[in-house]
Amino acid sequence: MRAWVAVALLACAGCAPVAPYQRAYLARPDMALDASPGMMRAMERTFSAKEAANGGSSVGGGGCGCN
Amino acid sequence: MSLRLLALAACLAAFPAAAVEPGGAMPSISMPRLEKPAERFALASLKGKVVYVDFWASWCVPCRISMPALDALQKKHEQAGFAVVGINKDATTGDAERFLKRVPVGFTLVADASDEAARAFDVKTMPSGYLVDRKGVVRHVHRGFTKETAAALDAEVGKLLAEKP
Repeated sequence: MRAWVAVALLACAGCAPVAPYQRAYLARPDMALDASPGMMRAMERTFSAKEAANGGSSVGGGGCGCN
Repeated sequence: MSLRLLALAACLAAFPAAAVEPGGAMPSISMPRLEKPAERFALASLKGKVVYVDFWASWCVPCRISMPALDALQKKHEQAGFAVVGINKDATTGDAERFLKRVPVGFTLVADASDEAARAFDVKTMPSGYLVDRKGVVRHVHRGFTKETAAALDAEVGKLLAEKP
């Protein structure tokens, strides 16, 4: 019984290791975290201005607070 | 007890074949040619030559340096008995063809859609290159590629070509 539970758990594992030579699938444009980097930047800019949350998502510049 | 055996089997299954390192034999495999998939190309057919087996892909950034460098290297040494084999790791042939239009090369190109070659060599990095001597023994492994790699490779190929078969 316990063995069957273990087999079931192994079969349910959703993560698969991606070998270095299989990264073609990760390099596809539709696999990018932000599909449109330009649009993402504009959205972040608007968000930080509206919410007074500059640097909330990622920090631009060297910490001078001038951008 | 059976649970422990099962866990052990699962762990062992997670480890692939041992990586090809200097001193090891070149895996004897055959793959379809990239341009003519109906035709197969066997690595064993190059025995007696110094061979550089290179794993490349259009999405691999250092391959933009390595492919022209390897093309130049083959042109320089092919008369002396040197050959380059490029094993493509793109998901579709179209991606490889688009890359080759920008970076045309003259050496043998093969496809490895089934990952058979990549598994046989246990490729750890893209690009990975294996320099094989005339007897079929892997002598140098290059993981990654820079301009320095190209210079080192040129010297290594010259040395291996000078060795008597």
